[in-house]
Amino acid sequence: MGRLEYRALRGIDLRVGAGELVAVVGPSGSGKTTVLNVITGIDRPSAGTVTVDGLRIDAMSEEELAVWRGEHVGVVFQFFQLLPTLSALENAVLPLDFARRGSKRERFARARHNLDLVGLGDKLDHLPAELSGGEQQRVAIARALANDPKLIVGDEPTGNLDSVTAGEMFELFARLNGEGKTVLYVTHDLGLAGRAHRIVSIRDGVVVA
Amino acid sequence: MLSAPTRKSITDLSRRKSRTFFAVTTLALAVAGIGLFALPTLMNRSMDATVAADQLPDLTVSIRPVVLSSAQLAALAAVPNVTAIEPRSFFSGPVYVGARRAFAQVRGIADFGRQNANVVHVASGAAPVHGELLTDVQNAKHGLLDVHAGETVQIIGADGAVRRLRVSGEGRNLDGAQSVTSDNVIVLYANTATVASLSGVNGYEELDFRLADTGSAAVKQTTTTIRDRLAAVPGFNGFSDLPETRAAGDWPGKSSFLQFTKFFYVITVLALLSALVLIYNTITTLVAEQTSEIGIMKAVGGRRRQVAAVYLKTALLLGALGTGVGIVFGVVLANGLARYFGSTFFAVTTRLGVDWRIVLLSALVGLAASVLVALPAIRRAVRVPVREALQASGSAVGEHDANNRFLRGVRFLPRTAQIGLRNVGRRRRRSIATALVIAFAVGTLLAVLGLAQGAANASRASWGDHGEDVKITAQGHRRFDATAANLIRATPGVASIEPMFVTDVNLAGKDAKIWAVTQATMFHYRLAAGRWYTPAEQQTKARVAVVERDIARVTSTRLGDTIGVETASGPVSFRVIGISTNQQESGTALFVPLTTMHALLPGMSPEDNDYWVRTTSHAHALIDSTTTRIEDTLTAHGYPVNSEIKYVRLANEVASNRTITTTLAAVGFLVVAISMAGLAGALTTSIFERRREIGILRSIGARARDIRRIFATETIALAAIGWLIAIPIGYLLERFLVWMLKQVANVDVPFTFPLRYLALALAGTIVLALLITLLPIRRAARYPPGHALRYA
Repeated sequence: MGRLEYRALRGIDLRVGAGELVAVVGPSGSGKTTVLNVITGIDRPSAGTVTVDGLRIDAMSEEELAVWRGEHVGVVFQFFQLLPTLSALENAVLPLDFARRGSKRERFARARHNLDLVGLGDKLDHLPAELSGGEQQRVAIARALANDPKLIVGDEPTGNLDSVTAGEMFELFARLNGEGKTVLYVTHDLGLAGRAHRIVSIRDGVVVA
Repeated sequence: MLSAPTRKSITDLSRRKSRTFFAVTTLALAVAGIGLFALPTLMNRSMDATVAADQLPDLTVSIRPVVLSSAQLAALAAVPNVTAIEPRSFFSGPVYVGARRAFAQVRGIADFGRQNANVVHVASGAAPVHGELLTDVQNAKHGLLDVHAGETVQIIGADGAVRRLRVSGEGRNLDGAQSVTSDNVIVLYANTATVASLSGVNGYEELDFRLADTGSAAVKQTTTTIRDRLAAVPGFNGFSDLPETRAAGDWPGKSSFLQFTKFFYVITVLALLSALVLIYNTITTLVAEQTSEIGIMKAVGGRRRQVAAVYLKTALLLGALGTGVGIVFGVVLANGLARYFGSTFFAVTTRLGVDWRIVLLSALVGLAASVLVALPAIRRAVRVPVREALQASGSAVGEHDANNRFLRGVRFLPRTAQIGLRNVGRRRRRSIATALVIAFAVGTLLAVLGLAQGAANASRASWGDHGEDVKITAQGHRRFDATAANLIRATPGVASIEPMFVTDVNLAGKDAKIWAVTQATMFHYRLAAGRWYTPAEQQTKARVAVVERDIARVTSTRLGDTIGVETASGPVSFRVIGISTNQQESGTALFVPLTTMHALLPGMSPEDNDYWVRTTSHAHALIDSTTTRIEDTLTAHGYPVNSEIKYVRLANEVASNRTITTTLAAVGFLVVAISMAGLAGALTTSIFERRREIGILRSIGARARDIRRIFATETIALAAIGWLIAIPIGYLLERFLVWMLKQVANVDVPFTFPLRYLALALAGTIVLALLITLLPIRRAARYPPGHALRYA
């Protein structure tokens, strides 16, 4: 796209075990988001390998990655990133539609269940513009849970929320982790980072701790 | 060194190169359309030069073959006001084109090296000597006869014998080219001796005069003097047709050409309108995208006027780029079309030229329009409060209004298709503008297609009124008599015959034709008012006429009026007893009893007619064979003839109409091109705006085909909405074109808006739209999600 290439990561060797709750911290521009993007296949490493659940995702095509993400990874973004023309329920069912998993009725039942789980069972037909920031992030989490992924990744998932809502969000992550899911999240909030099993600290593209 | 705001005006264009490209292309196409207004000037320039080179006659008189000595010609040349005279002889008869026969006219030139008017130029090869021919360059272009120097043409002479004449080269003459183009007649040129050997008759049938004064009074006086001088020549019995005069600056086919160009102007206006909608769209999008930047500029001290100036300069730059490119396109387009028309219809190679008035008009319209259509969006944007502007994302979000509720109600489609459909409602103004531009294009095509169908229907209806299968016309000096009529009647395959003839007249300053037909004619007349003439009126040679509605309307002729008609033998008056809805001779026919016309025109015997022939079957093979038999029989008995087969003429006319409407449709593609550039631009912008969404969709498992389906649905929805709007636009435009045809050309084309074209247009619009947007959609599907999330 005519952008300048720059090296965001400078040789990282990071292992995350199944069922771990890991916080990734570091200053702006340190490469935190890139680490998550590489793990989810959103970005590709220029060198090295990325293996998730035994699969070499750096060797997959864009198309294979899309399908793999849809089935095995749930991503939560800082700015919620919901589709503005879709209702909460439709946003939450979207990954199931893409994965073509189950019947239409089953997909909606699953999406409703997930929205109930995040406390939005009464706002299924609301458009994102009609929801608060916290509610939008809950929809984003419900969407991330759509395909019951083993891995949930959050890129500053609480960065745009007030402290109370942020705390509630973290509780949700912790609960999902308690159910056996691997959770990785980037945060600037050292308090929230401290509640993780492990903190990975990144600076200038390398893991420093 | 440029100021920062000016720099921003420029860089805003280079930031979104594809959008700038589409906007510039759109405007350029529209401005190029304005270039079509230069067509008449370019054609006039070239035709004026050709008229001068051809020394086109100002006055042409037709006579029955008369031998004129050099002294007699010199006497005619000495008539006051006459500056030059050129006599012509003619032979008309069949030539062989392969195994098939076709009708040809051989024009006799007294001296190829010394032509004083209506000059036939030798385009290639050499001037023909006795026994040789020149073929008009248009013969081959129109697929009538493709022969070259050194080859031979087999032509059947008036005595029925086949003569093999060598082709000496190609000839070019404005008048001849028009005959080939308009009448589908093969035109050949030979010296008068060759023509005489073919026709068996010496003498000239046409006298072309160049005049010093072409004013109507002077021409009338000159015509009278010429008639008086000819009266002393043995064998002269009056003009055989109405004298033809050419106004200064006129050339054959000029009025038809100018009428035709008027239809281009309608399309040009539509093209311009489409482009303006798209430029408005582009600037609106550009400004909407930059609402937060406007907030920043205002936050750092930019005043409304200063901020507005940034975007006005951007609009002006877009306008300047589009206008510049468009003017060049326009000059090329106008010259290309002038060359096409010149070559196709007039055998004239037009000279390259520029009409500076049109260039100036294009520049003014292009620049002014770009700035004017940008004003509303700029005005809106600079009034947004700073805080609100700073928070603007530039990407519209979903709302709970009626339209979006409707779009959200469409749940039966796959989710990706639903997303695409709802995206149409997100940028409503842009979607409407894009759909509108598609509608202009599809509407134009629907109107042109409808018009073509209407013209074809008119041709069929016009020829449907003919009861005959073949018309047999006497050629040369020997007119038909009772023997000829009996020979035709006795030919195997002939069921019945009817005498008739057609002569040129002038009614209230308008060219018209009198159809002299019998009371119990096989022609299917259709009366709108009054009645047909009675057997008694036919017997008493009553001066009554049934006038076609079109010419009646133009000349304000009413039932019961007494009309004065200028004929070859002078003025005659008729009482109008009927108004008919027929459209013979483009609606300019007057029906008069055959007996009346025989009495009015001197030198005509009751058998001196053409003949309508009805065959025993309408099978084309039988009509063809019967026609050949009639031709052979009559020619063998010394009657040179020409035949006109109805089904062939109908097919030719439909084909000719198709050429015209196809040309209109081709120009209409200007609007289509603009609309497609607009659609591609709108979708490219839409994709660009939603890169982040594409990234998110890819992040949560959307495959390339899911992304493609989202944008394809958006394209299909826009195309379908455009098509829906196109239906009333096309309907009204066709109504307008039909009205215009009536006003401009006095041609009555029935309005028809076939439903099958609607289905065709829908399919065509969707397919074309998908093809046009294929590339941007592919790009969207391949956009790396990391890039989309990081940079969008």
